[in-house]
Amino acid sequence: MSLAISAIDYINGIKNNTITAEEFVSKTLEHIKKHEPRLHAFISINESAVDQARQIDKKIKSGQKVGAFYGMPISVKDNICVKGGKTTCASKMLENYISPYDATVVTRLKDQDAIIIGKTNLDEFAMGVATEFSAFGPSKNPWNIDYVPGGSSGGSAVSVAALESVLSLGSDTGGSVRNPGSFCSIVGFKPTYGLISRYGLVSYANSIEQIGPMGRRVEDVALLLNNISGKDQHDPTTIHNEEQDYLSGIDTGISGKKIGIIKEMSSGAGLDSTVESVFKNAVSAFEKLGANVQEISLDMIQYTVATYYVLTTAEAGSNLSRYDNLRYGYDLDSEGYEFRQYISKARHKFGAEVTRRMILGGFVPSAGFAGKYLLKALKVKSKLKKQIQLAFSKFDFLISPTVPVLPFKFGEKRDDPLAMYLADINTVTANLTGIPAVSVPYEVRHGLPVGIQIHANILQEKKLLQVAYALQGTTKLPEVPL
Amino acid sequence: MVTKEDIEHVARLMRIDIENADEYFDRIQKILSYFDILDKANISDEEIPVQQIAIDDLREDKHIAFDDKLIEQLKNYKGQYVRAPKMN
Repeated sequence: MSLAISAIDYINGIKNNTITAEEFVSKTLEHIKKHEPRLHAFISINESAVDQARQIDKKIKSGQKVGAFYGMPISVKDNICVKGGKTTCASKMLENYISPYDATVVTRLKDQDAIIIGKTNLDEFAMGVATEFSAFGPSKNPWNIDYVPGGSSGGSAVSVAALESVLSLGSDTGGSVRNPGSFCSIVGFKPTYGLISRYGLVSYANSIEQIGPMGRRVEDVALLLNNISGKDQHDPTTIHNEEQDYLSGIDTGISGKKIGIIKEMSSGAGLDSTVESVFKNAVSAFEKLGANVQEISLDMIQYTVATYYVLTTAEAGSNLSRYDNLRYGYDLDSEGYEFRQYISKARHKFGAEVTRRMILGGFVPSAGFAGKYLLKALKVKSKLKKQIQLAFSKFDFLISPTVPVLPFKFGEKRDDPLAMYLADINTVTANLTGIPAVSVPYEVRHGLPVGIQIHANILQEKKLLQVAYALQGTTKLPEVPL
Repeated sequence: MVTKEDIEHVARLMRIDIENADEYFDRIQKILSYFDILDKANISDEEIPVQQIAIDDLREDKHIAFDDKLIEQLKNYKGQYVRAPKMN
């Protein structure tokens, strides 16, 4: 029994009695224990997973109705609440925080008989692109452990790429599902804003972030999306989508579709030559599939990184204010402290990047500076949305490399936050405009993966998954070297 | 031009005391300088977008009982009261 099977093959294996949930979950846990010291994808592991799998096997054998996942092990980023277990956000601030409730996505996974195999590592409070800013140590890229796995959902990407889970849930505020998807050679999907409930996701920048499915195959991601998306009464920003089945017709093909190459994301000095070369191969593949590919220029893209960081730090500054040791925090006796000092003492537990973003978040909307930063960023966001809508009146899809650079070595960008922020240039547009985007693993060059990003218009997930599936069929990826 | 004093003032308002202050301020100033790129954007005709949610999309405003006693998850409490540091 191989752990390298797709989610669809897992379900077929269970239905055909060639595997049991207990066998598969036991083998997955053994695999995790073997590779975790090297990869560190997880912050916590579900020690009851085998018992849960056994219960699901009993349901299957007794002919009871079984949920869509049939005991499949799925990992969840550790900023998404799972009741009764730790949700640390990879922060010392929440090191011992036990979630008192399940996030809606977790409720839906459990209702469909998925097994939450563990909680995955991330940059502290999902702020980073390398998982280097985890307070509990970085995750390692399974393709080469000297390199970062991307971030902030790096642990989720590593767990899927290294066969420690079949699927995973990450969160994507500026590319945090797609970036590690690209760096670890898996599929990372950022849905339309509102398609997946954020209830139970620890807030970073509420107006643009989304939970996103991650898997080794496009069809697996479609299956996961089918079961977690749609209206949720706990999140008023969610959207109805009951009629949508993202898996059916996924092999429709893309002949005759119009695809736009976003010039500002696919050329220029910041683009690595290897990434550029892989992207050209993907463009040729789209043309061979019968698509009409042309270049399009969107001049607002050059302002998106600044816009993204102004808006997200402003929201983060507000969201992080709850970590004052009164509402959330760690065990610090209140005796002997005056109020302000008590809170600032608590905030010493934040890492450098979170502290930096909190200060920026206090600064950009403040009196005297809001006009220079926040209001301009909101206007750029508004104009960018119009440019994107105009682009979708001419094209069905817009493409670019997911990340303009190859995975980098640990420490390479750690001390230069601006260089780190610029790695987001290709991914933040989908968040700022609310459109869906997916990173499809395309090649592994010199041992390092490169992903291709495809955007579609709002709520066009079904078509987006069809084009991603078509692109997936044009490449054969090597096996991850475990 | 954003000064070190401006940044210090905001950090104080955010109740953040930081060590290695100069290193923080250099990096934050560098990031804020990068944000100046927004001055070049041609956005003079743009309106600030307003996000609206229809009242029908909000859940019913009624109390939902929570099974667990949340206050027991806190360390510093007595009876129904949370113990906080004294105000000055």
